[in-house]
Amino acid sequence: MGKTRIIAETGAGQHGVATATVAAYFGLQCVVYMGAEDTERQALNVARMQLLGAEVRPVTSGSQTLKDATNEAIRDWVSNPTDTFYIIGSVVGPHPYPMMVRSFHTVIGEEVKQQLNGLTGKDFPDVLVACVGGGSNAIGLFYPFINHPEVQMFGVEAAGEGLDGRHAATLTQGAIGVLHGAMSYLLQDSDGQIELAHSISAGLDYPGVGPEHAWLKDVGRVTYLTETDKNALVGVELLSRTEGIIPALETAHAIAALKKIVPQVAADATIVVNCSGRGDKDMQTIMDNL
Amino acid sequence: MGIFLTSGFPSPEATEFLLGAIDEGGADFIELGMPHSDPLAEGLPIQYSSTCALKAGITMQGTLEIAAQFRQRSETPLLLMGYVNPILRFGAAEFCEHAAAAGVDGLIIPDLPPQEAALMRVHMQKYGLNLVFLVAPNTPDERMKEIDRLSDGFVYCVTITGLTGTGLAGRLDAINSYLKHASDMITHNPLLVGFGIQTHDDACNLSKHTDGFIVGSAVIREVERVWACPGLSMAERGQRVARFVRSLKYGPEK
Repeated sequence: MGKTRIIAETGAGQHGVATATVAAYFGLQCVVYMGAEDTERQALNVARMQLLGAEVRPVTSGSQTLKDATNEAIRDWVSNPTDTFYIIGSVVGPHPYPMMVRSFHTVIGEEVKQQLNGLTGKDFPDVLVACVGGGSNAIGLFYPFINHPEVQMFGVEAAGEGLDGRHAATLTQGAIGVLHGAMSYLLQDSDGQIELAHSISAGLDYPGVGPEHAWLKDVGRVTYLTETDKNALVGVELLSRTEGIIPALETAHAIAALKKIVPQVAADATIVVNCSGRGDKDMQTIMDNL
Repeated sequence: MGIFLTSGFPSPEATEFLLGAIDEGGADFIELGMPHSDPLAEGLPIQYSSTCALKAGITMQGTLEIAAQFRQRSETPLLLMGYVNPILRFGAAEFCEHAAAAGVDGLIIPDLPPQEAALMRVHMQKYGLNLVFLVAPNTPDERMKEIDRLSDGFVYCVTITGLTGTGLAGRLDAINSYLKHASDMITHNPLLVGFGIQTHDDACNLSKHTDGFIVGSAVIREVERVWACPGLSMAERGQRVARFVRSLKYGPEK
């Protein structure tokens, strides 16, 4: 494509680190936009990106989180279309980004198919669970199973302080609108201004959601639940102590939802939870809150 | 010459007054910006004015009322410029009905791509509103022609691939060759150039292949400057802004 410069937005910093890694490997200049609030709560990932040679630009407008980082990345992109490629970190943004990012993330669902067959001899799991901010890890897990109605799917949004307080439960509480070049559900006020989202996890702290999730919700293919900041911390503890895996705060929302999901499904059901991120980056927040 | 002003900036009360000053300064049409929380095409001045206006309590309904009041005093064409989400939230049909009733002549919606425009066009045609689309230096020829076919009133030719308020220094030759090409592609509509025009000289330098120009960020900066001057009465502020607008059209006063 002849591009020499890569830009990205990042919330939790995972996508920023991944982008900085490929940029370092291929010798490309890399700029990562990150909300100023997120640069603080995900300082470890900021240090990793910088070590990899990326420039991290803190964004101080608006909510100083993922939405505003995305605004700035889009502004950079339209200002530098000749030399710059924008690697979007979720299944959001203008077409064909949601489809592209979905395609790349289907490695998750394909991997599940393979591992499941090796472990259980089954071709399909009974239940899939993933957290949803923009929704890339969830769509990557779900997509290879979409046409198999026997596979039940749950997406878990961040209820933040609770659905009557500040939250990021876009599919659950949002209204249809257009943000970042896509029509989907949005947290917005009665005048169409985008509202500030809130979640303890930077990666879920986004007032929009991938348009394909909006469709999956509308057709009833996926059930979307919510978990609060508090429950996410319980989820962190649960997975740490039962499996020896410290999950990311994003992932912990999916873990926490098992309490609601398990009683609804058969006792011998095979449930796959996507452990989408590791918790190292969140240790400071976890220590401050547990 | 079109002049852009953010509705509700510096305050909803000041907007009505400023529209009068801009009109008096010689604007041939006015673009009244409807502030949005996430104005993706805007550089810092209009981002700032939008944030201020929203904090000052401007609403879509408020902007429509300001437009209606302006229309009672002036026949200068008035366009509303804004992002698509607040319009859809208001209701596309209701918004067009209210805008037409307020005496608005047309809409500019920078994040409404031509291939999605059907959701607005049907209502705009019903209420006789013009829909202006934008082209940029990286717009392919076929898309320019399509945009020419879909636009009414004029086609908005963006000087650069970038944001409002971006400086044009060192780029004039490249912009002029692109404007010449755009004028060959766009044959049904007048071509107006905007983004980054700060002075009368800028406007003159870009006038060879175009039918007019639009100034936004530079006006916002002037309003900021005037409002920051201590001790000015509202009338004096208006005179200063009107003088600035006049200087964009005719050059600095001798």
